[in-house]
Amino acid sequence: MKEMMTLKGGWNVKYNYAVGPTGTRFFKALKGEAKIIAPKCPKCGLVMLPPRSFCERCFVPIDEWVEVGMEGTIQAFTVVPVKFESLPDPPYAIAYVLLDGAGTAMVNFVKNVDLSDLRKAAKKLAIGKRVRVVFEKKRKGTIHDFHYELLKP
Amino acid sequence: MQAAMAALDDAGMTMEDIEAVVYSMAPSEFLGVNEPDRWCVDAVGGRGRPFMRIHTGGATGISAAHAGFYHVASGLFDSVLVVGADKVRECRDSQQVLNTIWDPLFERQFGLTTITMAAFQAVRHMQIYGTREERMALVAVRSRGNALNNPVAHLKGRITVDDVMASPYLCWPIKKYDTCPSSAGGAAVVIVSEEKARKRCTRPAWIKACSEVANTVFLGDQMGGMAQMDFADSDILAMAAEEAYRQAGIRNPRREIQTAELYAPFTICELSMVEALGFCRKGESGRLNEEGFFSMDGGIAVNPSGGTLCANAIAITALARVCDGALQVMGKAPSGMQVRNVRHAVCTGEGGSFQFHAVMILGDDD
Amino acid sequence: MSDKVAILGVGMTKIDSAKKDQKLDDMVFEAASKALAQASLDREEIDSVVIAACDELDGRCISSMLLAMPAGAYLKDEIKVTDDGSYGVILAAMRLMTGLFDLSLVVSWCKTSEAPLSDVMSMRWDPFYHRGIGMNHITAAALMAGAYAERHGISSDIPAKVVVKNRRNGSRNLNAHLRTPVTMGEVRLSPRVSWPLRALDCAPESDGACALILASPRRAKKLKRDAVRLAGFGWAADSYYLGERMLWDSPSLRIAAGKAYGMAKIKEPVAEIDAAEISDFTSYHELLAYEGLGFCGSGQAQDLIREGITAREGGLPVNPSGGLLCSNPFTAAGLFRICEAFLQVAGKAGDHQIRGATKALAQGSAGFCAQGNAVFVLTQ
Ligand SMILES: [Zn+2]
Repeated sequence: MKEMMTLKGGWNVKYNYAVGPTGTRFFKALKGEAKIIAPKCPKCGLVMLPPRSFCERCFVPIDEWVEVGMEGTIQAFTVVPVKFESLPDPPYAIAYVLLDGAGTAMVNFVKNVDLSDLRKAAKKLAIGKRVRVVFEKKRKGTIHDFHYELLKP
Repeated sequence: MQAAMAALDDAGMTMEDIEAVVYSMAPSEFLGVNEPDRWCVDAVGGRGRPFMRIHTGGATGISAAHAGFYHVASGLFDSVLVVGADKVRECRDSQQVLNTIWDPLFERQFGLTTITMAAFQAVRHMQIYGTREERMALVAVRSRGNALNNPVAHLKGRITVDDVMASPYLCWPIKKYDTCPSSAGGAAVVIVSEEKARKRCTRPAWIKACSEVANTVFLGDQMGGMAQMDFADSDILAMAAEEAYRQAGIRNPRREIQTAELYAPFTICELSMVEALGFCRKGESGRLNEEGFFSMDGGIAVNPSGGTLCANAIAITALARVCDGALQVMGKAPSGMQVRNVRHAVCTGEGGSFQFHAVMILGDDD
Repeated sequence: MSDKVAILGVGMTKIDSAKKDQKLDDMVFEAASKALAQASLDREEIDSVVIAACDELDGRCISSMLLAMPAGAYLKDEIKVTDDGSYGVILAAMRLMTGLFDLSLVVSWCKTSEAPLSDVMSMRWDPFYHRGIGMNHITAAALMAGAYAERHGISSDIPAKVVVKNRRNGSRNLNAHLRTPVTMGEVRLSPRVSWPLRALDCAPESDGACALILASPRRAKKLKRDAVRLAGFGWAADSYYLGERMLWDSPSLRIAAGKAYGMAKIKEPVAEIDAAEISDFTSYHELLAYEGLGFCGSGQAQDLIREGITAREGGLPVNPSGGLLCSNPFTAAGLFRICEAFLQVAGKAGDHQIRGATKALAQGSAGFCAQGNAVFVLTQ
């Protein structure tokens, strides 16, 4: 048999993810107050972003929250120049940023960088560079309610 | 099915001799069949036998081999077949699937994939240790060269650092040739009790150690702030290796291990992993690689098969590492791929957000 | 002193139709924390974790990535099986028997409310010969139920009685999802979903997570108190192709039970076992399981129901918790069975305790028409 057949198929399953009390509180603060709040472990003091309802390290539930700073430091980044199916249109830059007062870094887009030259963009986004949080005017209570911008583009 | 038959053949056994089956199957979305292990029960002889599927992401294959070992080492079974197959290419864009490994509320939205994850590791390795893109490229050059001796590798050939550097960026600083392909393939191993092995085989590969450690999914917990480890380093692999070396009685890995088959889907991963395995100090791997320490005739031959960079059928890639490691110890690797005087081979698997690391050590009869 | 693996504690969330107030992680953390608390252990003391979950239902393509941490696996040796929660216990027990580990946490969960179960289940079919026919888990179960009823001439009153029994049992179980008893009339009048199944013949779709802590024989020996032992277990698979199976029987369950009984030295299951928690995905499946588990001969399950042997007050109460017909957190259902069997043997089952239970059986099953089966015997 020279010509083997293929059969086209799809995987269209829709999900409804429960956000839970921790995520709900976080997203409400984003939307309503334009604030980033983070849970703080009662045992080791870890202030964690993205927020979690328990400390993975100490395995205790958390109910204390703190507000973190509106600026932070890039810990890792990349620039994506190619298109992947169902993923954002290129080019885009994303970075893990340690916000002042947080114990862990959180990912988001960095939007004020010229991405036309990859190498130049990568230099500007270097680890250690300072960024600030910029809130969208119309917020919907999702992680897209804010993004990062370099302090000195 | 083909893989199962080949493994049984090599062991001089038939399905009649097998008491239980472990199926190695990672995410099913690439194949487009939910729980495809059930579909394959008949093809791998699972019918009427104890049968279970293991799934730990990229580490699946080696976790399945571990599970096979636990079947036998528990004393419940004498012979177990560990088998799997994958066809990643039947899915149009595997990175679309791999995006759904991330948290749906906080992380998926940013187009995170396994390639961006490698980029994050690379930028930190570059920042902390001054690793250059050319040194990552050299890993691809060696791997594809090694794969020339491996009849079942998917990508192989003589390429240069310039070729890698000229390949297009996918996520800065990761270029196309820094990454693994999407492959189709099957693999199987037969794991038997000591008594059976002594009867059946003149030079079996003995399982000296099995260890696997899990970390948080969140990359941002592993960089700056209150991080307990750095995402540049494969510290979880170091923990798994420490336990494996303890089980195998290995004190000086650099001297006692002759070859390693590592699950390194990106060039940067391999550099980070050989450091974690104690083959060299942190930050030294790029230079040592350039000096040929990890080449076929170097101190430790890393990925004589070409490794994951040359073939990645996700569900069985880590199982292929075990197969290739076992061939090295048994002296049955294809000529050119066989490393001389192998007494210990280290095989690894890596899954999730570089968060699951598994180590198996295979050795000869001491 | 025993050379068997011991069970030190279990943790279960309340089982509900939709746990909208909990993110999946929260639910898993609750179950794992409760199990640790019941066993009076700190997470630090655990040296291994086994997860049993289904990516496709979790809506995360390697679901253990996000859920290994709430399952307590930070920097621990962790591994995952997919078939059914109960398979986690098999793998954990084997790991403990190797002598490499001492204390293992087994965790399983499912939030059927977040995923369209029917869509996911139809993706289980191979794309070439089956998927186009539009079968899901219910229609597949109906094929099995119909084949069984036909073969042995079972009138629909018998499975209806199973429903009434389990729903009555479930009304005593504070943790169950459906806690209202039903009458024969209500079962008879409930709509047909797929012949011969009526709506009340089928398990509901539920959310829930559970966890269990196992100790190696070595560690168990050091315990001061008496522990519940995992005296025996066995598992096996049947063909995927329903056309090749005799759907009125379950050979894999017979094999699994045979192995478990052999290991636990059980010769007369009905006489020796005090309570059984089995996977009654439909009322017919409970009948099929009686036969597969050797509680009776082929076609005789109806007698056990007619004579009330498997009722709460009978000689071998089956599903005192209400079983799957009252609570069905799909992937986790099998581990819930083992947790419930533990509660019975430990005397901690509260209102649904079977008095004096010292030997309990649990059965997990997975796949279309119970393609894979696992059997566990727990003793005091
Ligand atoms: Zn903490």
